[in-house]
Order: sequence, then C-alpha cells, then structure tokens
Amino acid sequence: MTKLPVLVGCVAYHPRIVTIWEGFLPWFERAGTPTDYVLYSNYERLVDALLAGEVDIAWNTNTAYVAAEERIGGDAQVLAMRDVDADFATVIVTRRGEAFGHPGELAGTRLALGSRDSGHAAILPLHYLAQEGLDAASECELVRFDTDLGKHGDTGDSELHVLRALREGRADAGAIGDATWALLRTTAPQETDGLEIAWRSPTYYHCNFTALPSFEGGRAWAQTLLTMSYDDPSVRTEMDLEGVKRWLRADKSGYADLTAAMLAQGHLP
Amino acid sequence: MTPRRVVADELELGAGLEVLVAAALEGVAAGEHLEVQVGSPGIAHELAAWTRLAGHELVDQAASGGRGAQRVTIRRAGTRRVLGDEAPPRAEPLGADGRLGLDEVRAATGPAPAHAPPAGGLVPLGAIAEPGGVGGTPYHWALSERDRLWARELALLAEIAAREQWDATEDVPWEAAAGLPDDVERAVSQVMTYIAQNEYAAFYVPARFLPQVNPQYAEVLLWLASHVHDEARHLEVFTKRAVAGGVRSHALASTELSLHTLLEEHDFSNAALLLNVLGEGTFLDLLRFVERHAPDAATATAARLAHRDERRHVHFGIAHVRRRIAGDPDAAAALVAAAEARAAKLTSLSGISPLLSEALTLMSARSRQPAEVSEAAAAVRALLVTMHDNRQRRLRAAGFDPATARYLSELHTPNLM
Repeated sequence: MTKLPVLVGCVAYHPRIVTIWEGFLPWFERAGTPTDYVLYSNYERLVDALLAGEVDIAWNTNTAYVAAEERIGGDAQVLAMRDVDADFATVIVTRRGEAFGHPGELAGTRLALGSRDSGHAAILPLHYLAQEGLDAASECELVRFDTDLGKHGDTGDSELHVLRALREGRADAGAIGDATWALLRTTAPQETDGLEIAWRSPTYYHCNFTALPSFEGGRAWAQTLLTMSYDDPSVRTEMDLEGVKRWLRADKSGYADLTAAMLAQGHLP
Repeated sequence: MTPRRVVADELELGAGLEVLVAAALEGVAAGEHLEVQVGSPGIAHELAAWTRLAGHELVDQAASGGRGAQRVTIRRAGTRRVLGDEAPPRAEPLGADGRLGLDEVRAATGPAPAHAPPAGGLVPLGAIAEPGGVGGTPYHWALSERDRLWARELALLAEIAAREQWDATEDVPWEAAAGLPDDVERAVSQVMTYIAQNEYAAFYVPARFLPQVNPQYAEVLLWLASHVHDEARHLEVFTKRAVAGGVRSHALASTELSLHTLLEEHDFSNAALLLNVLGEGTFLDLLRFVERHAPDAATATAARLAHRDERRHVHFGIAHVRRRIAGDPDAAAALVAAAEARAAKLTSLSGISPLLSEALTLMSARSRQPAEVSEAAAAVRALLVTMHDNRQRRLRAAGFDPATARYLSELHTPNLM
C-alpha cells in the first residue's frame, strides 16, 4: 500500500515557490517520505487551512505561526526551520552620517515601516523600540508601506519602499530585516546607496513548519527534512532559492517577543 | 589554535567586505573561527546578517579598540560553496617559452578520454565539473568516441588555421577583376559560381558535426570551427568574384545533385573521406589550376588563398582516415562502402559538366585563336588526369592499398566535390 503524502501548505509569494517545491518533492519521494504541497495566496488562508485540517503542515512566517499558535491554544507543533530563521534581526537604517546613538533620539522623526503584517519590518521594530523607551507610534511620524499585505513581508517589496523613502528624504529612519539588507547590499547595491545601519534589534526566529498537535507524522517528516543536504546537487538550486543551507530543528523559544508584540499591537484577537 | 584574522576597517558589505571575508574563510577549516576587524557597528551588523545568509555562524560581535571599531567572530560552516572534486594543488606554469599550444595544455590536464560521457556538460579542459547543472535534461553528445574523431596533429592544425586567417574584403586586389572581355568574364563567373556552390557543401558538412562533438574533445571542436570558418570565407570570396565583373552565372543542377549526396553522409569518418580526402583533395588541383590560368589577379589571389586552407583540410582528412584504418580492421571496408553508396546515387552523372569544362577552357585561353583554345582545352584535360593521379596518391597516404585507391578515385564524383 502506498503511503499518503504529507501535505505541506505554502504561500505563493513568488513564482519560485513552485520551482522550489517541484524540486523538493522528488527528493522527499526518494527519502521515503512522500510529500505534496498546496499553495495559498496569503498566510491568513494558510493558517485557516491548517486549522481546518486541509494541510498537515504549514510553512509559516513567524507572524502566521504566532497567529496559528494562538488559535490552536498553545499546543502547536513547531517542526523545523531554515538556518537563516534562527538569529533573525531587524535593522534600523538611516542616511549615511545621520545614524543615532540611541533609539530614543528617533522621537520627533519620520520612521518608515514595511507592511503592517510583517514581523521583521513593522511589528517587531515597534516592539523593540518600545523596549528601548521609544513609543514610536506616538513619538514618531510613522510612514507605512502596506504593499504586500497577506504575504507578511515575504516579497520584500515594502522594504524596498522603506529604503526608497529614506533615499528620497521622505523618511528619516526605516526598519527592514537584516537579511534583506545584506541581500540588497550584495546583489542590488543601488537600493542601499547612501544609507547605513544605525541599529540592530535583538534576534528572534522567523519562519517555521507548523503542525496541529494531532498530526502524528510531524516528527518523522522533520527528521527527513533535516537530512536534506546542501551538498546534494539534486536540491542545491532549490535550497538556494529557499535561502537555506541547513534545516534546523525548531522550538518555540524564539517567538516570545513577537507574541508579546502582536498582543500589544492588536494583531491577535 | 589562534583564529585567523582579517582587517577590513571601513570596507562595507557590497563594496568588497564579503569578498575579503569569503576569501579568508576559504583558508579556515570547518568549525574554526575567523575574526574580522571592522570600522563601525553598522558594518558589524551587516556582516552579521551576511554571515547567516552565507550559512556560517556568528560567534561574537564586540567593540574592539576605539572610534566604533568592532570585532566580528565567525565560525566557518562545513557546507561547500562548490560541489565536485577538490581542485588539485597548484602545478607548474605553462607557456614558459612565450607560446602555449593546446598540446601542452592537453599534456598538463590529462589525455583525451577514449570514451567521453555522452551526457557530460560544458567543462573546459582541466576544469572540475560541478554536478547538478542541468538536472533532468542532460546532454546527449552523439560523437563521444575519441577514435571516431581524432587525427594526428589535430590541435596543431587548428592553431595553424587560426594563424592563417585572411580577409576576403581587403586581401584580394578586387580592382583587377574589372575590364575583362565579356566572354572571358562569363567564363570566370561560371567557374567561380561553381566553386562557391561547392564551398557551401564544404561548409555545411563540418558545421553539422560541430554541435554533436563531446566538449571533452576541445581539439576536434577547434578544428571543426576553423574548418567551418575557412569555408565561410571561401564561399564569400568566390561569391564575390563570381559577381564582381557584373555577370551572373548558373548554379548547376548536376553540382547540386552531387553535393546533396555529400550532405546526406552522417558518419564523421565517411565524411572525412568523401569531403576532405576526395572532394577537397580534388579541389586542391582545381584551385592550383585556376590560380595558374586565371586571367586576372583577383581570381588568382582568391584561388591561392583558398588553396592554402584546403591543404589543411585535406591533411586532416588523410590523417583521420589513416588513423581509423590503422586502428580498426573493419574501417577500410566501411569507408569503401560509403564511397560506393554515394557513387550509386550519382549514376546519372557521366562526366564533368560541359558547361564547367568549357568555362575552364575559355577562362584559360589567352585568346580565341584556335591554337590557344586548343592549348587551353589540353590543359583542362591534363587537369582531370592530374586530379585522378593525385587522388590515388592521397588515398594511398590515407592507408588504402594501390588497387583500392585506384578504385575509389574512379568512383569519385565527376562533379569533383
């Protein structure tokens, strides 16, 4: 009897998602863990699908995971994440020479943020600035770019708007993911021209594979995923597209800040 | 063990910092540390993010010295940036005497394999293939057997070809083509049109093999590319001479029939015999004749320049066929069968086209005086005899016994190519 495939739900934030999963599926088949995937247009639909049992596993952003965890009641299974998802950080960028000594100095300035459902470009920046004593929502003029709502910042589009606003003098400081910054610096340097990092937040976890507590195949599936090697030519292209060199076992320790931030900012019911 | 250390100062990400760090990490073993000294916290932050994206691990980031300088400590990951075998240690340099032949490169990188992987990628000599490039759609190189392609001095022939390139626009005294009497110009134009028509076949035959040759046989590729390029120039120069005097001539149907059978030959060695040894070999004599008897310097120059190239092509054909016959006891019979099969398709051709032999005669005759026309006609008849003699000589050089050489020469197309 053939095993039923494990069904993974993903959000189609870019056409490469199809390339990635079409490349991964034969690898899972060879690894003896048949897997299939379903695409959704946004993370709210993906979380709904997870809760409804339409998919076994959701490939969630951190924001989607926290929302799912809240609805599940704290018993969600967190199965795995990419190496880049551990130690993720938000950076506050300014024009060169305008870096501040302490985030408190941002009071009275214009602060650009990415999509309001992006953990790294909107929700966590406000949270970490508050920890530094700056209530940005009231003390700064927020310049929001809600360009890819539902994608939780995955497209990177709203972060490009943040940087453009800085370059063009429409904002004084802006929050983006540190990975976005590093990627643009090395592949599209014109986007960061004349800008520099002024501040870096504490680190947190980003995406993870989430399952309902009732799903029994989760551990075995994650165990298989962890054996996927960047030295395997059959998946190296797909791993590059996914931005992962090593899959890591995930836990819930990296989501406390985001959970607190989403509660405080009204993102959770 | 003390970690390796790199001083990057104000160098930023995107401006070279990642290049410096990646190069330094090449010299660090997996699990070992690299310390990078950078000039500001902002640079340290972006280096931290790059480190994670590159798959390495940020161990520490701390102030170091004054004025905002920071020290970033990175643990190198075990992942390899490129798959495939490790590169060997650096070897002795090549080209010490100021010239670097392909044979020296071949000697340094290993001999051409007898069997090259038919699905192999575009891997230059000496390079290490990284697996995974084309995934599900590998190549299928039809010509992946060395002995079916090779010839002695192959690389040298390709190099000579590169050195002896010429220019069909500037290297021919085109002004000399003007002013011939009408009947002489018509004769020259017909001969030139006939040669240009034949050069098309000499162009298409190697061109069709070119994309089938396994990339491991770089010498064969370079050779065929030079062959194709030579023929492109030949069809250029003879086309130009054919029309330069203002006359238009016929592309003959009998020539078309003969050339079509040449293009139908899909075996590399059979084509080397039929095109290089027999066809181009016969053309050596034709071109020499044209050079000697041309009524103008433009025609003579075109024939002389093309003759120099055709000599290489014939040399390759003889060397290849000789190697095939020496290495494979069945090869000679197969080659003879190919010549017989072609001849069987050309039974409707009973001799050289009268239009061509008359044009050669009128082109060569110094006047229309009967004595001079007779002399020219005798020269053309002598040319056909010379062609037959020289074909046999070349076939014997290629490894055929005298009787077979005579038989093959007689089977050869009356179209000459």
